[in-house]
Amino acid sequence: MTSKTKVTGIAAAALVFAAAGLTGCGSEDDGVVTIKMLQYKPEAVDAFQELETRFNESHEDIRLEIDSPNDAMKILKTQLVREDYPDIIAIGGDINYSNFLDAELLMDISDFEGLSDVKEAYLKMDKELEYVPMDGVYALPYMANAAGVLYNRDIFEEHGWTIPTTWDEFISLCGQIESEGIQPLYFGYKDVWTCLAPWNAMAVDLAPSDVCYQVNAGNTTFSENYREVAQKQKQLLDYAQDDPFAYSYNDACTAFARGESAMYVIGSYAVPQIQSVNPDINIDSFVFPASNNPEDNILNSGNDLQFSIMNRCENKEAAYEVLRFFMEDENIQYYIDDQNAVPCKKGDFELAPMLDSMKPYIEEGKLADYQDHHYPAEMSVDAMIQTYLMDDSEDALDTFMERFDKQWVRYNRDIIRKVQEYTEEHSGNE
Amino acid sequence: MEHKKIKNDRERTFMLITIPVVLLFFCFNTLPLLKGVFYSFTNFKGYGSYDIVGLRNYIDLFSDARVGNSYLFTLKYAVVCTIIVNVISLILALGLNSKIKGKTVLRGIYFIPNILGGLVVGYIFSFFFTYILPAVGQTLGIEAISSSMLSSTKTAWFAIVLVGAWQSIAMNTIIYISGLQTVPEDVYEAGSLDGATGWKKFKNLTFPLIIPFFTINLVLCMKNFLMVFDQIMALTKGGPSQSTESISFLIYNNGIDGGQFGFQSANAVVFFIVIVAVSVCQMRFMGKKEEQL
Amino acid sequence: MMKKEKHEGKVNIPVTILLILGCLTIFFPLYMAVIIAFKQPSEMTNDIMGALAFPKTWSLDNFAEAMRVTDFWNSLGNSLLLTVATVAVSIALHGIAGYAIGRSMAKSKVYNFIYLYIVSGMFVPFAILMMPLVKQTAQLGIANRFGVVVLYVVFYMPMNLLLYAGYLKNIPLALEEAARVDGASTWKTYWSIIFPVMKPMHATVAVLTAMSTWNDVMTPLVIMSGTGKNTLPLAQLNFQTQFGTNYNLAFASYLLALLPILLFYLICQKQIINGVVNGAVK
Repeated sequence: MTSKTKVTGIAAAALVFAAAGLTGCGSEDDGVVTIKMLQYKPEAVDAFQELETRFNESHEDIRLEIDSPNDAMKILKTQLVREDYPDIIAIGGDINYSNFLDAELLMDISDFEGLSDVKEAYLKMDKELEYVPMDGVYALPYMANAAGVLYNRDIFEEHGWTIPTTWDEFISLCGQIESEGIQPLYFGYKDVWTCLAPWNAMAVDLAPSDVCYQVNAGNTTFSENYREVAQKQKQLLDYAQDDPFAYSYNDACTAFARGESAMYVIGSYAVPQIQSVNPDINIDSFVFPASNNPEDNILNSGNDLQFSIMNRCENKEAAYEVLRFFMEDENIQYYIDDQNAVPCKKGDFELAPMLDSMKPYIEEGKLADYQDHHYPAEMSVDAMIQTYLMDDSEDALDTFMERFDKQWVRYNRDIIRKVQEYTEEHSGNE
Repeated sequence: MEHKKIKNDRERTFMLITIPVVLLFFCFNTLPLLKGVFYSFTNFKGYGSYDIVGLRNYIDLFSDARVGNSYLFTLKYAVVCTIIVNVISLILALGLNSKIKGKTVLRGIYFIPNILGGLVVGYIFSFFFTYILPAVGQTLGIEAISSSMLSSTKTAWFAIVLVGAWQSIAMNTIIYISGLQTVPEDVYEAGSLDGATGWKKFKNLTFPLIIPFFTINLVLCMKNFLMVFDQIMALTKGGPSQSTESISFLIYNNGIDGGQFGFQSANAVVFFIVIVAVSVCQMRFMGKKEEQL
Repeated sequence: MMKKEKHEGKVNIPVTILLILGCLTIFFPLYMAVIIAFKQPSEMTNDIMGALAFPKTWSLDNFAEAMRVTDFWNSLGNSLLLTVATVAVSIALHGIAGYAIGRSMAKSKVYNFIYLYIVSGMFVPFAILMMPLVKQTAQLGIANRFGVVVLYVVFYMPMNLLLYAGYLKNIPLALEEAARVDGASTWKTYWSIIFPVMKPMHATVAVLTAMSTWNDVMTPLVIMSGTGKNTLPLAQLNFQTQFGTNYNLAFASYLLALLPILLFYLICQKQIINGVVNGAVK
C-alpha cells in the first residue's frame, strides 16, 4: 500500500467514525405507548422520579418518561422552536402558560373528569391567565405554593415574638428583632427573581388581582396601583443584611437555615433548599401583612405546578391516564410531603407544618395569584425592581413607576391590541 | 492535448471539492443568517404563529434603553479589556523575551488561563469576588473591596473585565513574543550605538517592527470581547440592575426565554453590522499606520 | 568577543523575579479552587487565613460525588467525541477545500469570490444564527451530537480556510507538477504530496479547533438541550442548581472539568503554543 492511500484511508475512517459514532439516537417501538412529560421544577426531580417509577410499575401498556432539565423553560422553548414536543408539560401557571395558550399549543381538556375535584380558586387563576377569555380548559392545576414570610419558630418562641397582622406591627417587630441583636430579614437579591418574592406577597394585599388585565384594557396604570408596594419593599431594606445584592438565593437560604436571620420573605418552595442545609430547623410561615387593615391581607398563592397536554399529543387517553395517576390522593400526599406544597385538589390532605399559620387562609380560599405571573419575562420586572431598590436618588420611585408603565406598553403591545380588539368586538355585539 | 487533459482533471476535481463545501457553508451559515434577517421583520416568539411587522423591531431597537445599555456596556467592556490586555501582554512579552531564567517554563505557565473554559473560570472567580475578596477587604480595612464587586453597578463590569483579561492576556502575550522574535538582533545593536535605551528604544525601534502583531491582537481582542458571553453567564447573569448585559447575553436570554425571537433577531442583525464595521475600521486604520512607518 | 557577550548576556534577575511573582496571579485562583474542592462545607470560613489554609484531610469524596452528580464520564466522553470528530473532519475537509480554493484563487474570479464569501463568515456572530439553526437542525433530524459537529465544521471553516490557503501560498507549485507529469490525479496528488506537506498547518488547525470546541458552551447548549447529552462545560451549567450552596462540591466539579485540558496541555504544551502562534501570525 502506498502512503497516499493510507492517508486517504485514515481520513475516510475518521469521517465514517464521526458519522457512525454520532447518529445513534432513536426510539424502538414495542407496542407500548410512551408518554413524554417535561416538568420544570429542578427541586422536585426526586419526587418526579419516584412517581415515574410508581407509574411504570403499575402500568404495562404506557411508559411514562419524565424529563426534568435544569432551566427547563429555556429548554422547553428550544424544543418548541424545534417542534419536538413532549406530550405533557408540567409547568407553573404563569405568563408562559398564557403564551403557549395563545400560540394554540395546548389541548382542551374540559372532558377530563378530574377537573371537578380541583378547587375553584385555582381553576379561576388559570382562566385569568388567558389574554382574552377562551372556551375550554387547558390546564389541570396540581400543586400550589404559598409565599409570605418564613420565620424561625425557635427564635420567635425564645424571644416571645408574635406574628404580625398589619404592616405597622410587622415594621415594629423588625425593629424589635434588630434591637435584640438579631438580623430580622435576609435577602438573596443577587438572583434578580428573588426581588419578586416580597413584591408579589405585598402586591396581593395592596393592588387588585386583575390589575394587568385592567391596564391592558386601558382602564388604569401601574403607577396608580404599585406605588405603595414599591415604597414598602424599599423600606424592608432597612432590616436586611449588609449589601443584600451581593448574595444569591442559595446564600440567603443557607443564612436563614443557619439561624442568621429571624425571617425570610420568600415562598414555601424555598423550604426544601433550607432544610437541605439544616434538616432540624423549625420553620413556620405567615401571610405578609402589607396592609394596615388585616382584612386586606390575603395569602399569595398560585399554581406552582399544573399539567397541560400538548395539542400534538397523539395518545390523549394515555395522557389522561397519567393525569389520573397523578391525581390519586396517595400520590398527591407523597408530593406534598416531599415538597411542602399545597394541593389544588379538594380533600383532606396533611399539610407541612411550615404552613401552619397559613392554613386558615388556604382553607378559606383567601388567596390571590402571584402578580408576576402576568408579567412578560422579557420585560424583566425583577431586574427593574432590583434597579429601583439599588437606586438611592430622590426620585427613584417616580423613575421606577414611570418606567414600569412605559415598558409595559412596549412589551405588551400585541397583547394590548388583542385585548382591546376583543373588548371592542364584544361591546359591539351587545 | 495531454496537458489539457491534466488541466481539466485538476479543474474538475477542484470544482467537485468546492461545490459541496460551499453548499455546506451556505446551508449552515448563510441560510440561517438570511432566516435570521427575515425573522427580524416579524414578531415571532419562537413558536406559534407570527405576523410580519415591517421595521417595527428596528425602530424599537433604537428606542429601547435596555438594548442601548447592552451596547454601551459591551463596547465599554471591549475597549477597556482590549487596552488592558494589550498593555499587560506587551509588558509580559518584553519580560518573557528578555534574558531570564526558566523562560520555557514561565511561558508555559503564563499560557495556562487561555486553555481553560470561560464558563468554569467564571464560576471560580465568582466565588472569589463574593467571598474571598470582601474578606480581604474587611481585614485590611479597604473600603473599596470590602463588599462584593459583583453587587454594585459601579464595580461589577470591572470584575468581568478582570476575568476576561486574565484569560486573554495569555494568548496576546504569546503573539507578541513571536512578534518580538522577528526583530533582528542588529536593530538593537544599531540602536544602542545611537544610545537608545529603555522606553525610547522600545518606542522608536521595537514597537514599529511589531506593529503587524499589534494589529492582529487588536482585531482579535475586539472581536472576541464584543461577543462576550460565558463570563457574563457565570459571573453576573447580566446583573446587578441589568448593568452587565452584553449583547450576546441579551440576545440569548430574551430571544429564547423572553419570547422576543423576532426583536432579538433584529438586534443580532445590527450587532453583526457593528462587528463588521469595527473590524474593518480597525484594519483600515492600522493598515494606514503600517504604511506610514 | 563583544558579539558573544551580547548574545549570552547576563540573566536579568529582577525581571525573572517579577515574572515569577506574576505567576501568582495565575496560580492563586487555581490554588483556591483546589483547596476549596478538597474541603468540607464545615471548613468554610470567612476570615482570610481560614480561607487560604489547607483542608484538614485530602479526601476525594467531593470529587466522587461531583462525578456522580454531573455524570462525569458521559460528559467527558461527549466532549471528547465532539472534539475529536470536529478536528478530524476539519483537517480532512478544510485542508482539501483550502487546497482547491487556494490554488484556483489566483486565476479565477469565481474562486476568489468563494474565498472571500467563506472567510467573511468569520464576522457572523453566533447569536444571529442561533435560533434559525435550532430550527434547522431539528428539521433535518440532526439536533444531536452529529449536528453539533456539522455546525462546528461550518463555524471554523472561515478561519481554517484562511489558514490553509495562506499556508499554501508558500508551497511551490513545482512540487505538484512533478506528480502531475507522472500522471497522478489531482485527488491523489493532494493526499500524497500536499497533505503531508501541510503538516504544520494541520497541527495549528487541530489545536485551534480543538480548544474552541472543547470550551464552547453555546452550541451544545442550544442544539442538544433536553437530549440528556452534556459536554463538560454544559454539565457545569446544567448542574449549578443541584450543587446548591455546597461550593466544595461545585469546585470539585469545576476542577474535574478543567483537568483533562490541563493534562493535555502539560503533555503537548510546545505543540499547542506553536500552533496558536502559527494561527495568529499567518
